[in-house]
Amino acid sequence: MSKIHGSVEALRIALAALRANKARGVLTTLGIIIGIVAVVTTMTAANGLANNFRESVSVLGTDVLYVSRMPWIFQGNFFQFRNRPNLELKDSDKLARQLGSEAVVNPTDDTRRPVKYLSEVIENATVIGTTEKHMLVSSAVPEYGRFLTGYDVKFKRHVCVLGTTMREQLFGDVDPINKKIKVGRSAFRVIGVMEKQGSAGFFGGPDFDSQIFIPVSTFVKEFGGRHRSFAFAIKAPPGADVVDFEYEVVGEMRKVRKLKPNQDDNFAINKMDSLLEAFNNVMGVVLMIGMAVTGISLFVGGVGVMNIMFVSVTERTHEIGIRKAIGAKRRAILQQFLLESSMICLVGGAIGVALSFGVAAGIDRFLLPASVSLPIVIVALTVSVAVGVISGFIPAWRASRLNPIDALHYE
Amino acid sequence: MGLQLRSVEKTYDMNSVGVRALRGVSFDIDQNEYVAIMGPSGSGKSTLMNIIGCLDVPTSGTYVLDGSNVSDLGEDDLAEIRNEKIGFVFQTFNLLARSDVFHNVELPLIYAGMRPARRRKLAEEAIARVGLADRMSHRPNELSGGQRQRVAIARALVNQPSILLADEPTGNLDSATGAEIMEVFDALHGEGNTILLVTHEDDIASHAHREIRLFDGLIASDSCQSEAA
Repeated sequence: MSKIHGSVEALRIALAALRANKARGVLTTLGIIIGIVAVVTTMTAANGLANNFRESVSVLGTDVLYVSRMPWIFQGNFFQFRNRPNLELKDSDKLARQLGSEAVVNPTDDTRRPVKYLSEVIENATVIGTTEKHMLVSSAVPEYGRFLTGYDVKFKRHVCVLGTTMREQLFGDVDPINKKIKVGRSAFRVIGVMEKQGSAGFFGGPDFDSQIFIPVSTFVKEFGGRHRSFAFAIKAPPGADVVDFEYEVVGEMRKVRKLKPNQDDNFAINKMDSLLEAFNNVMGVVLMIGMAVTGISLFVGGVGVMNIMFVSVTERTHEIGIRKAIGAKRRAILQQFLLESSMICLVGGAIGVALSFGVAAGIDRFLLPASVSLPIVIVALTVSVAVGVISGFIPAWRASRLNPIDALHYE
Repeated sequence: MGLQLRSVEKTYDMNSVGVRALRGVSFDIDQNEYVAIMGPSGSGKSTLMNIIGCLDVPTSGTYVLDGSNVSDLGEDDLAEIRNEKIGFVFQTFNLLARSDVFHNVELPLIYAGMRPARRRKLAEEAIARVGLADRMSHRPNELSGGQRQRVAIARALVNQPSILLADEPTGNLDSATGAEIMEVFDALHGEGNTILLVTHEDDIASHAHREIRLFDGLIASDSCQSEAA
């Protein structure tokens, strides 16, 4: 019980000491404030990036494999990949036959073309040639209208489905359904608009919302199929083990490619996992840099607090003497000054957190969706108290060891 | 109970030269005695007061307070003894400038680990005892010198110590106020408290019923022993 009362009392003393030296306290905490802003901003931005990324890659299913000529993430020498033959459209049919009817194989390729509606032009729009199976290998669904069908693909129809950003840019408030737009040199009829999916554009990845989908057959007819290498999105049959299925795909692809047992694969199997892994590596580096900056400013702030605590102890030597004379033990004095330094840092931390909300709002507005979360606030305040305890310890220790007689006669 | 000093010596080490502040002091003080310790500066008064007040320990000899030997306790144990058994009244009052009267008086009870409700009751009683009930929430700088010393007396009284130790309690007060403060001590003695005054003023010492004079770290005279002899 006495410990609890002692703590409450020590807290009161610490707050009184802070009130008495407001300006000094605030100046002292500047380093802490900057440090905490750095902590919170780094963590908030990292969180925002991670959420943003996860949201956008979630469009690609976790149970979907992507077979392509080149791996998404290069490891090793580019030249060993350079001479690989293209994946052709007919390879997709072969693979589909070999994998059986329960697996889904969707061939796609993309190109950059100007897209035009009336006077609105988007240069370099991403045009995706795909099939009706796109709906099975991706979580994307049309917001209104419809997606491509087997007929569209079979009869090489000039129809297209727009990403939501694409629709906004071309049509604004106008209903795009059945309107004719120009993709490259040919006219296409808009049959649907996709739901908003988010973007991985921040990482140089695809922005799924500014794509335009056309039948892959029409795509080949319009833009040529000869020097193209398609990517095959492959979904395992329901209930199949994903790892086993990956081996099966590799085996069947080797047959399609007519590889001898001693030849290396000349195609790549990509998964969302590998994207996530690459992303996590990048985030690790970003976080480390952020933490280094944070660590330096917190260190500087901590030194400032230590300095001011030495001043505070010296100034109040006489007071310490009085307290000791009437029965304060070493621990009580130690606790008093540790609490004072923790409170200074906690106040700094709170100001830092408040400022961080502003910074985060700025990031949210101009960079990427980000908001300060409760766990981050808790971490930040804990860190600031920890800095207070660490930087206050030596001054507080010194105060607790003062000789009561000397302290009492100190002027 | 009271206190017993036996052959108490204190040697300070100053630049590796031993300064013998006390050279073998022995006396007893019984409960409810009213004692003045006198002597010129350098006689060892302050050293003796520090040892009796458990702020310091003797280099050799023993000091028994309330039946327990406190001559070689550690700092935290001494703090506990000061908290429970000693009430200090200093020449310069030594109040916490930023705290009000109530908090100053309450402070020893906080360090004793007492619950707030009981603390409040005892502190208010002690403040009322010295006649400052209407000044409870004033700060020391809003009080006169005499009132400050009354606050200090209330603080010394609040945990019912075995001994009230007053070091030149009127040294910073004019003679009229000093006389008032001495009346408070006289009354406290009348209520059964043990009081030890350290002073160099004869008229202050005359309030006490026993006078111990120190000279060069030794007892020069003790009115109690001379009466007995």
